[in-house]
Amino acid sequence: MSVNETTEAGSGLRLDTLSLGYGNRMVVEGLDLKIPSRAFTVLLGRNGSGKSTVLRACAGLLKPKGGAVLLAGKPLSRFGARECARRIAILPQGPAAPEGLTVSDLVRQGRYPHRSLFSRWSRADEEAVKEALELTGMADLREQPLENLSGGQRQRAWIAMSLAQQTEILLLDEPTTFLDLAHQAEVMRLITTLVKSRGKTVIAVLHDVNQAARHADHIVMFKAGKLVQQGPPNIIMTREHVRCVFDIDPEIVHDAKTNAKFILS
Amino acid sequence: MTSLHVVLAAALLSGPALLLASLALGDQTVSRADLRSLFNGSATEQIRMIVLDLRLPRALMALAAGVALGIAGAIAQAVMRNPLAEPGILGINAGAALAGGLVIVGLKGAGAALLPVAGFAGATLMAAAVFALSWRNGTSSLRIVLIGIALGSLAGAGSSFLIAFADVADVQRLMIWLSGSVYAASWETLRRLAAWLVLPVVLACLAVRQLDLMRFGDDIAASLGQRVNLGRAFLILLCTTISGATVAACGLIGFIGLIAPHVARNMVGEGHVRLIPGSALVGGLLLMAADLVGRTAIAPAQLPAGIVTALIGAPFLGYLLWRRRHVGQ
Amino acid sequence: MTGRHADPLRALGLAILLCVCILVAALAIGAGTSRLSLVTVCEAIFAFDGSRDHLVVTMLRLPRVLAGAMAGAALAVAGAGMQAPTGNPPAPPGLPGINARGALPPGAAPALPMTGSMSDGNGLTWYAFGGAATAGFAVHALGSLGPGGPTSLKLVLAGAVVGTFLTSLTAAILIFDQATLDAVRLWTVGSLSGRTMGQVMAVAPYIATGLAAALVLRRQFTTLSLGSDISGALGQRPLLWRTISVVIVVLLAGSAVALAGPVGFVGLVIPHIARLTVGADYRWIVPYSAIGGALLLVTADVIGRGLFANQDFPVGVTMALIGAPFFLWLARYRLRST
Repeated sequence: MSVNETTEAGSGLRLDTLSLGYGNRMVVEGLDLKIPSRAFTVLLGRNGSGKSTVLRACAGLLKPKGGAVLLAGKPLSRFGARECARRIAILPQGPAAPEGLTVSDLVRQGRYPHRSLFSRWSRADEEAVKEALELTGMADLREQPLENLSGGQRQRAWIAMSLAQQTEILLLDEPTTFLDLAHQAEVMRLITTLVKSRGKTVIAVLHDVNQAARHADHIVMFKAGKLVQQGPPNIIMTREHVRCVFDIDPEIVHDAKTNAKFILS
Repeated sequence: MTSLHVVLAAALLSGPALLLASLALGDQTVSRADLRSLFNGSATEQIRMIVLDLRLPRALMALAAGVALGIAGAIAQAVMRNPLAEPGILGINAGAALAGGLVIVGLKGAGAALLPVAGFAGATLMAAAVFALSWRNGTSSLRIVLIGIALGSLAGAGSSFLIAFADVADVQRLMIWLSGSVYAASWETLRRLAAWLVLPVVLACLAVRQLDLMRFGDDIAASLGQRVNLGRAFLILLCTTISGATVAACGLIGFIGLIAPHVARNMVGEGHVRLIPGSALVGGLLLMAADLVGRTAIAPAQLPAGIVTALIGAPFLGYLLWRRRHVGQ
Repeated sequence: MTGRHADPLRALGLAILLCVCILVAALAIGAGTSRLSLVTVCEAIFAFDGSRDHLVVTMLRLPRVLAGAMAGAALAVAGAGMQAPTGNPPAPPGLPGINARGALPPGAAPALPMTGSMSDGNGLTWYAFGGAATAGFAVHALGSLGPGGPTSLKLVLAGAVVGTFLTSLTAAILIFDQATLDAVRLWTVGSLSGRTMGQVMAVAPYIATGLAAALVLRRQFTTLSLGSDISGALGQRPLLWRTISVVIVVLLAGSAVALAGPVGFVGLVIPHIARLTVGADYRWIVPYSAIGGALLLVTADVIGRGLFANQDFPVGVTMALIGAPFFLWLARYRLRST
């Protein structure tokens, strides 16, 4: 390993010649990608471009057909399931919970990787749950059954569960897709806080290009299983790139006040 | 396309082959020469009796029942939107079993003639009850399955009670009937079965488009213009009539309705315009084969066809599902 | 009762339930052709003096009630445990208990090895267990095929398929052998009559192990119930824990079947009621199910015996009469939309 790589291997997530697929169908082949630490990275692309697949592989939910996902220089497969869950948390799309589960019950589940088979509920566990509930603003709703909550509240409860895992890396698969605008803004604000104040590394798959442009530190664009472009939003959100990745003809509107770019199709 | 043609040709050819085998094999083997003698009128009385009075109606009954069960199975799987469904789920078998059990135990010997009627009545009453109880502003496939299971369990408990406490000779008779057999086939029963089946089978063939739409779920089917609840009611009625008639004629034969559609699907695809005839064909062939095996495998004892279908059916189903395990992922 | 603050309440409820269960069991021992008072029952157990009444208690009634309690607890916990691995996708909304139906291995299986070796009551038990265990694994294997892994509906249907197969297998043997049919048939309907202390003691260690394992590992069940995606994300190895839960379920269900024959609905009714009362956390569902199941089966047996004035009335039939309407009610009113 070169000097460069050893310094980078500290806490980072890196994809090395990664190939992923289901059964006989290959979705991604030979992907090389380094995820910037302590930043918010967004994976963009059309449906079926492989972004959710890549996200799942980053969490170890999908075993690579070739190559590896490296965490601090080691392939994920060499980490135990619990160890991996203490370093990387993932919230998959549209999670469903059994009937009757309360917010508190759910968030407590996030402590699973920190508890061994017979360990008791510790002070650290209690603190972690409390913190997760406060960060997501769910402290008042902790005794509510999930099915009584609104969509936004439920999503925040699931995020709280992932936060209770106290990992340095958080992966979110379409966390805002079925939420209304206000709730979407809430979730985005939460993510930004997590990155800026807590130094977490967050990777999210988002559908809304403008949301990504507005909040992400780093954007990775996928097309048909291949990495097409990556970089900070203001550099790569160009007409050509969006046209290439999304097959639409966009208009880029620049807002001088906030220095943000909006993509209209 | 050519492989499809090959498969179909093989299936169609095996029909006559099975028929000939059914006529020739059994307690007493009938040789080819003997069979030919039937055509040129020089057959002995004994050969004539064995082939024409015993084996031919039996083989044709197996064919007819198998065709009926195959079609009923395809309908059941479409209506309940599940590859593990079969007509029995609607409680048909359990209802028929209980009714038959009551007749055998209650009426003893005299009940033999009433058995087919009882079977048919039990099947129909049960299906009606299942449908009525699952009606709540319309029906849903899931509710039908669950209520079918619940009512089937109740009927099953009743049958179990009878089996546990009735006279053991009666129970043995009941179990034989429950095992499903074409043993007592005659030209008369064959005629009756055929009469019962003509209309429902024709209707089933005409309903192929409805069946195709059913697969998509209520919302989509309704948006495409199908009268979902009416369609479901009609198809369940069809399935019940076809199964009920088969139960009346042959007792309970399981697994044909479960497997024939699967095999047919592998051969001709999902479209019901091909699946219905396909299931019919496969069902008929399977039951003829099962009956043949039952007659010859442990000769001179006879294993009811219903048992053979179950013994071969379950592992075969497991294999089919295993092969499809990546479908839809 | 929801929330952590209700924990003392739940513990109290559990203790009360346990007391009720013990009381009902004692009354059940007293019930029968000759009514015995609670005092007599207690004396028979703790101060046995060889009198006729005491013999009736220890040789007939106590084993029967113990068998009922053990089988009931085992079936209920097995039913609860069966719900956990089917969290992906989750059970049909509003009806999480239906898979217990498929989990119950058809008791007809054990009749197979019995042709011939019918004399020994204990031998019967172990053949039954073996048959039930095999059937249970087969149901789970069949219901797990296809995309989405094991779902409640697939398991129920798989249970129906395996059940039909085994019933036919049994029928194949029994229609040729009237003597065996006669000997086996009372057992195939699910019954507690004639259970001896020997049989109860033979099965007890296995049920105890299964219940203990379920109690110790109940946290894992809760995590499993979140679905394999989420539980995998939390670091639980889905395959390992699903297998463990299936083993526990089969151990419990198989032992229960070995003891009482195929008794249905306990594994469905009890966990559902438990869930409605104490929430979705398996920390409470498991113990409540165990005691609730014991209570239900003992009560059903007493009712059956009393109502139909027949000491041999099979508890399997009583449970079907209680459970099927409950299941019907669930399917009709608690199932949300399609």
